[in-house]
Amino acid sequence: MTELASRLDDVAQRFAAAVDRANDEQALESVRVAYLGRNGEVTTVRRAIGTLPHTERPEAGKVINDAVAAMERRLQAAYEQLESRRFDAELAASIDVTFPSIRRPVGSIHPVRRIIDDSCAYFMRHGFAVVTGPEAEPDYYNFDALNIPSDHPAREGFDSFWISDTLLLRPHTSPMQIRTMQEHRPPIAIVAPGKCFRRDAVDARHLFQFHQFEGLLVAEGIHFGHLKGMLTGLCRELFGEQQNVRFRPSYFPFTEPSAEVDTTCPKCKGTGSLESSPVGCNMCGGSGWIELGGSGMVHPNVLREVGYDPDRYSGWAFGFGVERLGLARYEVDDIRRFVKSDPDFLAQLS
Amino acid sequence: MRVPVSWLREFVTLPPDAQTIADRLATLGFPVAEIERRPTITGVITGRIADLQKHPNADRLQVAQVDVGDDAWLTIATAATNVAAGQTIAVATIGAQLPGLTIAPRTMRGVASQGMMISAEELALPGDWFEDGIMQLESSCALGADVVDLFGLDTAVLDVEITTNRPDAMSIIGLARELAASYGSGLRLPEIVNPGRAAEPPGEEPDVLIESHDCYRFVSQRIDGVGVAPAPAWMRVRLALSGQRPINNLVDVSNYVMLETGQPLHFYDARAIRGGRLIVRSAHDGEQIVTLDGVTRTLSSAALVVADDERALCLAGLMGGAVSEVGPATTAIVLEAANFNGARVRRMSNALALRTEASARHEKSLAPALTDLGAARAAALLRDLGATLYEPHAFGGPVTRAAAIALKVADVQRLLGMSLHAQQIERHLAALGCEVERVEPEVLAVTPPAWRRDLTIAADLIEEVARIEGYERIPLVVPSVAPHEISSAAFALESRIARALEGLGYREIITQSLRGAGSVEVRNPLSDEQRFLRDSLVPGIIEYLAENASPARIFETGEVFRDEQSGLVEQSLLTFGFSADPLDEPPWRDSHFLALKGDCEQLLRKITGRDAEMKRTTQSGFHPGKTALVTLDEREVGHLGRIDPRLAKASDLQRPAYLCVVKIASLRAYETPRYRVPSKYPSTYCDVALVVDIDVAARDVERAIVAALGSLCTGATVFDEYRGPQIGQGRKSLAARVTLQRFDATITDEEADAAVSLLLDALRNEFGAEIRT
Repeated sequence: MTELASRLDDVAQRFAAAVDRANDEQALESVRVAYLGRNGEVTTVRRAIGTLPHTERPEAGKVINDAVAAMERRLQAAYEQLESRRFDAELAASIDVTFPSIRRPVGSIHPVRRIIDDSCAYFMRHGFAVVTGPEAEPDYYNFDALNIPSDHPAREGFDSFWISDTLLLRPHTSPMQIRTMQEHRPPIAIVAPGKCFRRDAVDARHLFQFHQFEGLLVAEGIHFGHLKGMLTGLCRELFGEQQNVRFRPSYFPFTEPSAEVDTTCPKCKGTGSLESSPVGCNMCGGSGWIELGGSGMVHPNVLREVGYDPDRYSGWAFGFGVERLGLARYEVDDIRRFVKSDPDFLAQLS
Repeated sequence: MRVPVSWLREFVTLPPDAQTIADRLATLGFPVAEIERRPTITGVITGRIADLQKHPNADRLQVAQVDVGDDAWLTIATAATNVAAGQTIAVATIGAQLPGLTIAPRTMRGVASQGMMISAEELALPGDWFEDGIMQLESSCALGADVVDLFGLDTAVLDVEITTNRPDAMSIIGLARELAASYGSGLRLPEIVNPGRAAEPPGEEPDVLIESHDCYRFVSQRIDGVGVAPAPAWMRVRLALSGQRPINNLVDVSNYVMLETGQPLHFYDARAIRGGRLIVRSAHDGEQIVTLDGVTRTLSSAALVVADDERALCLAGLMGGAVSEVGPATTAIVLEAANFNGARVRRMSNALALRTEASARHEKSLAPALTDLGAARAAALLRDLGATLYEPHAFGGPVTRAAAIALKVADVQRLLGMSLHAQQIERHLAALGCEVERVEPEVLAVTPPAWRRDLTIAADLIEEVARIEGYERIPLVVPSVAPHEISSAAFALESRIARALEGLGYREIITQSLRGAGSVEVRNPLSDEQRFLRDSLVPGIIEYLAENASPARIFETGEVFRDEQSGLVEQSLLTFGFSADPLDEPPWRDSHFLALKGDCEQLLRKITGRDAEMKRTTQSGFHPGKTALVTLDEREVGHLGRIDPRLAKASDLQRPAYLCVVKIASLRAYETPRYRVPSKYPSTYCDVALVVDIDVAARDVERAIVAALGSLCTGATVFDEYRGPQIGQGRKSLAARVTLQRFDATITDEEADAAVSLLLDALRNEFGAEIRT
């Protein structure tokens, strides 16, 4: 029994020394296997119990178990210390968090689509549908059906690209008014975004290929006040709650009464002046207003053309230039950037 | 149109500030593009040169004694050469402010000069539009009068935009009438009764023969005793402020009347009219006329001319001819105030590429009644210049009154959403010159004034009411839209595609639809590079990738056009893809292709809820060995692959480019996925390696595995490929992972082994595969 105790003592001492020498988990594991493993030294000692008298065996067992428990605690403490040292080392590391980031490629939709989507979302909330249609359109849809007969001076305002005697690239999205009204009966509540073409010389304010956003509401009892209400809401949706909208009389053959629509210049907030510019706001030319486009009550001749009774139904329509809206919304200096779509432009506006 | 505010003030009382007036015009539908402010000029008064002597000490100077009224005299030395005793001129007195100049006393070669005689340029008028040297005034001017006040030189000039439906407002009186109606103040019109009374000398009555239906009215008037001379200074100044160059008294009167009343006029030298009568007719094909600008023009019968018995004298409504031009020898004229078919004048103007102030008015179809006003106004001005007037004669149809328009008071409310009483409506319309009669308590009969040809229906009148009441008074109302059946599906689909690609890391771009190549040609392109409608989005995208140096991931949706037998076919396409640095890979592998394919599969899955299938194809512009046809439910929806390196080189692409083209209309509606409960039992897998001919498609191997194992196989994916000398010529090695799982029990090792041997047999039979495990 004493011999067993002294052997155990010896094992425990060498175990303690080995644990102290071990400076990583692998070394500790080796120590564990060597001493506490299935064929380890403690097992050898334990086998010696068999040589002891029966009366001493329980006592010997207890002594060995106590020793093993102590060794395991010692081992556990060593593990914990190792782990704690590793955390200390890991936590001692420090980086420059301002170092430029690593970015995965992100996608974006074009600012033109963003404006169209935001505008559509507003109108869809109010029960409007979004329709789209062809870019190459017969003159009937572009002009005749819109109360612009062939000799009408207003045709010259639409300097169009012609494909044949009767087919042209639409200079506005208004053909969608006719197509929709011919296909459906009132109520008609649509917006129609789309690409349009006019033979304009390209400069910082003009494109020959641009997008228009058309709207049409025809039903019984629709009036100009509804037009003002919806378009004021649209501008507030796109530019913010303080936005004001101004309607000025104008002339379009397919609406009567007609109005040009202006909204508060978002850059100078309608003041017409900028602290940074001695000559006034460069976005609105100092007027405090930016032009959105044309609008008005659908002309009775247009309603008759699609078989609607103008004494029963009334409605309004409008058409805005999307890139023009984009200039104001994103404070872009040159409308050509919308077509060039260079990566920096897209990244900034995404 | 350039509008001096001082001219407007002659006809209507206006607020002092030009900006206020401009704002009001804008609310009436006449936006002011620019307000030109005149420089400050003070201390310039009228004077008469009473005496003019040579300067005692200088050959090139003269010394004038100038009477500036009230017994005040100024001694002024001048170097000007166009001065003479008796002239009335403008004098800048000591202390006078001119643009960039303050007049101070000074001594010129020993003579103390008490001011300066001045030229038009010194009054900030276009110098080359006026006489060289000192500006000449009329002797009728009161001496000592302030020249700025006299001529309205301090007026602001408004650049007013006028819509094409309102030729009546292309005139000072027209705009004054609008302002008078809006401000509720009166309109002061000039003399509008023609002062010409006398009968013509025998044989000299101007006769007019109207042969064309496109001349509706022609007022002619013989006027004698007008020597050609400069027009009075006040008229020349007013024309110059309006942007019209003064020429001589006759031309200036016609321009002045056109600007003031809106009616263009033409004066013929009476001697040039052969046969004594004017004929309005179509030109003969090939007929020639030398116009006032000195250009010889050859006409077609589409042109409308005013001729005498022998030749064309004038392009109707457009420009006069040289043969009947008034000049220094002119003593008698025949005045024309005519009304023509606007469309005819516009076509002639377009055909001859000639536009004038007159044609800009005529082409918008003026009111016939305006002819009489124009003639009367010109006659009155010429009378003031000392002319002898004979009576005017009108030819063509009578001036008819427009038919009355029935206007229901309720319709004003119905269209505007603003409640107005019948009295308010009546007042607004009357202010614009309409005759309004109440035919029923709530129905008005409105006769538009003769000059408003644009008012034909009730809606036109409602706009007039709204303009005068003010659009800003109409309340804002949000409509409630009743349910309807119109679908937003096409837009929603495109929107979802764009959002999905955004999520996959692609940026949207917009490229030009008009390009240098395609099958549909535009008749009137802006340039050869924009002569065709695109038939593909690929060229525009390649151009974009070439222009933007760094690797890019982009997409575009848009219309393309093809010319087919049935006519023009328009189609919506999506094209997306990227440019990327080449990878170090064997020729039979292309991870960029696989990445693009993966994006395509994920996109189509997201949009349609279905899995796309790919197979080899060829496509012009794409790499012949790296292009796949994309199908969904066996329907072709597009293709994807690497851009042909030869095309890339020709397009200056620095990097390989990979693009996928999808026909948007071929995408079926989204199919909502249904959840499949996974098996409760564990799955097992085995990897098989096999050697097959290189043209065996990996996808076919996967299909064969699934077909061989049936429901036991829950997945079969080829995950590796190798080709090389160890494998053998024409062969390749594939590795596939086969997942086995049962829904009703744990799969046993025996079952798994049996399944593998089944599928290996199948692969051997179907592909002659050599199994390498």
